[in-house]
Amino acid sequence: MKTLKVFGSLIKDSLDTITKGSKTYHLWMGFLTLIMLIGMYCYSIQLDQGLSVTGMTDRVSWGLYISNFTFLVGVAAAAVMLVMPTYVLKDIDFKQAVLIGEGLAVAALIMCLAFVVADMGGPSVLWHMLPGIGVFNFPNSMLTWDVIALNGYLFINISIPLYILFRHYQGKESKKSVYLPGALISVFWAVGIHLVTAFLYQGLQARPFWNNALLGPRFLASAFAAGPALIILVLAIIRGFTDFKIEDKTIKKIALVVTVAAQVNIIMLVSELFKEFYAPTHHSESAYYLFFGLDGKTALLPWIWTAISMNVLATVILTFHKLRNNLNVLYFACILLFVAIWIEKGFGLIVPGFIPGPYGKIAEYTPTGIEIGVTLGIWAMGALIFTVLARTAIGIETGKLRYKK
Amino acid sequence: MSDNKKKWFTLNLNSKHKQTSSSCGCGKTSGGCNSHQPKKEELSNDAFFEAAVDASIGDERHKDGFDQVFDVKMDRRSAFKKLTASLLIGAGAAASCTSVTSSSESKEKAQIDWEEQFKGNYKLMDDKEKSATVDRLVRSYQLRTGKNINMSSKNAEEDVLFGYAFNISKCQGYMDCVSACVEENNQDRNSEMQYIRIHEMKDGKGFNFNEADDNYYHEVPAEGHFYMGTQCFHCDNPPCVEVCPVQATWREEDGLVVVDYDWCVGCRYCMAACPYDGRRFNWSKPEVPEEEINKNQHYLGNRMRKKGVMEKCTFCVQRSRAGKNPACVEACPTGARIFGNLLDPNSTIRWVLENKKVFRLKEDLGTEPKFWYFMD
Amino acid sequence: MKIHRYIYNLTYCLLIVILMTSCKHDKEHEYHSVTDKIEAESKNYKGIKTSSETFIDGMNLFEVTENEITFLIPTRKDKIKSYKCTECHTQPLAKMQTNDIKKAHWNIKINHADANTMNCVTCHNSDNMNDLKSITGHSIDLNKSYKLCSQCHQKQYKDWTGGAHGKRIESWANPRASMTCVNCHNPHSPGFDTKWPARFNTQKVKERK
Repeated sequence: MKTLKVFGSLIKDSLDTITKGSKTYHLWMGFLTLIMLIGMYCYSIQLDQGLSVTGMTDRVSWGLYISNFTFLVGVAAAAVMLVMPTYVLKDIDFKQAVLIGEGLAVAALIMCLAFVVADMGGPSVLWHMLPGIGVFNFPNSMLTWDVIALNGYLFINISIPLYILFRHYQGKESKKSVYLPGALISVFWAVGIHLVTAFLYQGLQARPFWNNALLGPRFLASAFAAGPALIILVLAIIRGFTDFKIEDKTIKKIALVVTVAAQVNIIMLVSELFKEFYAPTHHSESAYYLFFGLDGKTALLPWIWTAISMNVLATVILTFHKLRNNLNVLYFACILLFVAIWIEKGFGLIVPGFIPGPYGKIAEYTPTGIEIGVTLGIWAMGALIFTVLARTAIGIETGKLRYKK
Repeated sequence: MSDNKKKWFTLNLNSKHKQTSSSCGCGKTSGGCNSHQPKKEELSNDAFFEAAVDASIGDERHKDGFDQVFDVKMDRRSAFKKLTASLLIGAGAAASCTSVTSSSESKEKAQIDWEEQFKGNYKLMDDKEKSATVDRLVRSYQLRTGKNINMSSKNAEEDVLFGYAFNISKCQGYMDCVSACVEENNQDRNSEMQYIRIHEMKDGKGFNFNEADDNYYHEVPAEGHFYMGTQCFHCDNPPCVEVCPVQATWREEDGLVVVDYDWCVGCRYCMAACPYDGRRFNWSKPEVPEEEINKNQHYLGNRMRKKGVMEKCTFCVQRSRAGKNPACVEACPTGARIFGNLLDPNSTIRWVLENKKVFRLKEDLGTEPKFWYFMD
Repeated sequence: MKIHRYIYNLTYCLLIVILMTSCKHDKEHEYHSVTDKIEAESKNYKGIKTSSETFIDGMNLFEVTENEITFLIPTRKDKIKSYKCTECHTQPLAKMQTNDIKKAHWNIKINHADANTMNCVTCHNSDNMNDLKSITGHSIDLNKSYKLCSQCHQKQYKDWTGGAHGKRIESWANPRASMTCVNCHNPHSPGFDTKWPARFNTQKVKERK
């Protein structure tokens, strides 16, 4: 009973915190709400007229939505890069960052689910997927694995920080015996969600571009580069706008994680390119389309070459200690890396999988305005959720939010 | 196709001028080209009933495609409503239930919509439930349009396994099969959905799909070319079935890979998993002009689909389970298409498999298609 | 330390459960390939209920046995408007080819092999117009015209008896009813003409622009 009361008070206090703030804060929240409303309007059009308002066709049947979904699973998985050192290896440097990282994971996972729902042809019958009421094709369908993995990860990432914050809110220390098992499971789970998402594509013998053994590991490497890169950027922003203390040491440690992951990612990219272009087979055509264009169809060329050059540049910057230790340069490299991997693991991965089609036919994909609107709306929703979570967490951690008896 | 019963099976071969009444050269199927006219007698018979339905459901009866079965009218405003309601399951049914009118027919309609929204997966239904949902759909169509359809829920028969063979030296690329398929299976006319693709390939280049043209429009057969048709191959180990998260698609006992259109959530994972381009998605609401609707339907076959669901070739389950040849087989003027029961040792399809040099596409993928190609 | 062990055990249990459920135990995979499946399952084939009888009912068909395969084919004589031919051909052909009598069959152009190989009397019996005749002069019943074709087209004939050449009538089920040669081929001009495809997909063009 008492717990419930405290919880109610926590929610009230947090609502109080997130509705008050500086002018910039209100502008930011207003801006996000506006984008979300536009996104919802676009989605209503899509609901009304069907997915024909998107750029997807029978030829390229997954587009921007699934691309963003794939990328965001990676971002969510990256939270583990902070959890492991903090809770398991007892590295206290990360303690502040880890709550932010988990908040980011929660926001990213909710966005993932939103993107999947947006991509569905019949969102009103999604209950067919609920085990018990509907039919859940487990374990045959990798999509059901993904549903379990994502929701389980979401649960873990909500419950652990909630427990810690809840204890701190009451002015108590959080008990290790409670959160440590959860933290440990989440380490495995994070690797799991990203591997399972990779298997979603990897398991399709129909699409040779995806059907290669390196896809899973590459997903992990790129995720552990892009995710922490985003966390660094977010920490930088939080440092600038709040009095939440984050030491340089923490950011530099995360930067090291980003560096290693980006290097591994590049190695795997080279390995993949070597295989596709040194001994090109019929199955290399998708890669040809992606990097050089096929039959005069070159829609992805500017994107992928931008991504590759940004990726290489960022990795080179990060590799040199001198450059990496300069925070401004680090932020720049992180932005580069984030955008590069968003392109590469987003539509740079999804769209070429469908091109050329099973019988060599090429129909290019360009997202429509409505599709972009929905996508931006979901990103705005994610940002809003994160802002709300982060503000509450920071309030509690800095001691401003405390339970008053 | 089926209702103008021909006196005898003369084939449209050596005649450029003679077009079958249902296929038109211009490629447009809706509108002017069509020679089918709704029969006057039928209308007068139903006149009284229609007037009654008109009074109760007004303009909804003039809509096409799935609307005629049980979709709910929706404008932008109600789309917003649906946006929020759909998160809570079953917006469509809820909306129609709240709009209560005094007419008993619209009450029945709402009842049907409600039951349809929350019915289970067809694959897991027993025969009673199957016939119940079929009856509901037939009744719903009757309430909406005042017309009767004939919908079957016939199950697979034991000792039947359907197989198909395609003679690439016979096919001349006339595309009569494509046309017959569209008409038989009530495919969306707006997006010009077609299950069958005919690939025009150059002689001497092998099966080079990359350079093949599957949307040619010139007199056929063209010099130095051969033709190869593809459609759903009804794999014995279908990757599309494996990946479906809700088991909305499955392989029936007689080998047909079918979709429950009402159970499909529209994730399109099966489409990505199919190596043969065998699946089609309803990106928007499928529409078929009322007078062109094939009213001889099967639940798993050519009944009306809604937007946002997958569909595919079913070897015309409404025909094949009754014993008839699929529409493409019947329409083919060259006899390039052979269909039959693989388990019957004396069937023609078995003779082809045992006596001709047959092969299948992408056999290395292990999908085990039940669709063979052969040459003379 | 205790907690760690507890967690490890839990993880192992979870892993085992996942591994056990993830294996496919379907009956579907008991055959290596679909051809094995066909072979195995058709061993005790006892026939099926589905039949072609309702579809071929009322058609004039008769049974033939060729290459030890028995099936039905349509009759021919009752489809020819002016059968019997002897109603006009009261005399042998040579006697009818005079200028006094009005010309008949002037519109038939033979486009079958070449003029050196074939003319009218290669197939038609000039002495008995009601029947056809083989190369060696034997009489062939008009209903069994396939016997005439099979003299040269042995390969097609063999495929036809098996079912690889030609078409089934209406139904895939037994009893088998197949079309005969002249249902598809005009014997005077058996080749197929070119024509325009029945459909053109304008959406596909837009999609691939």
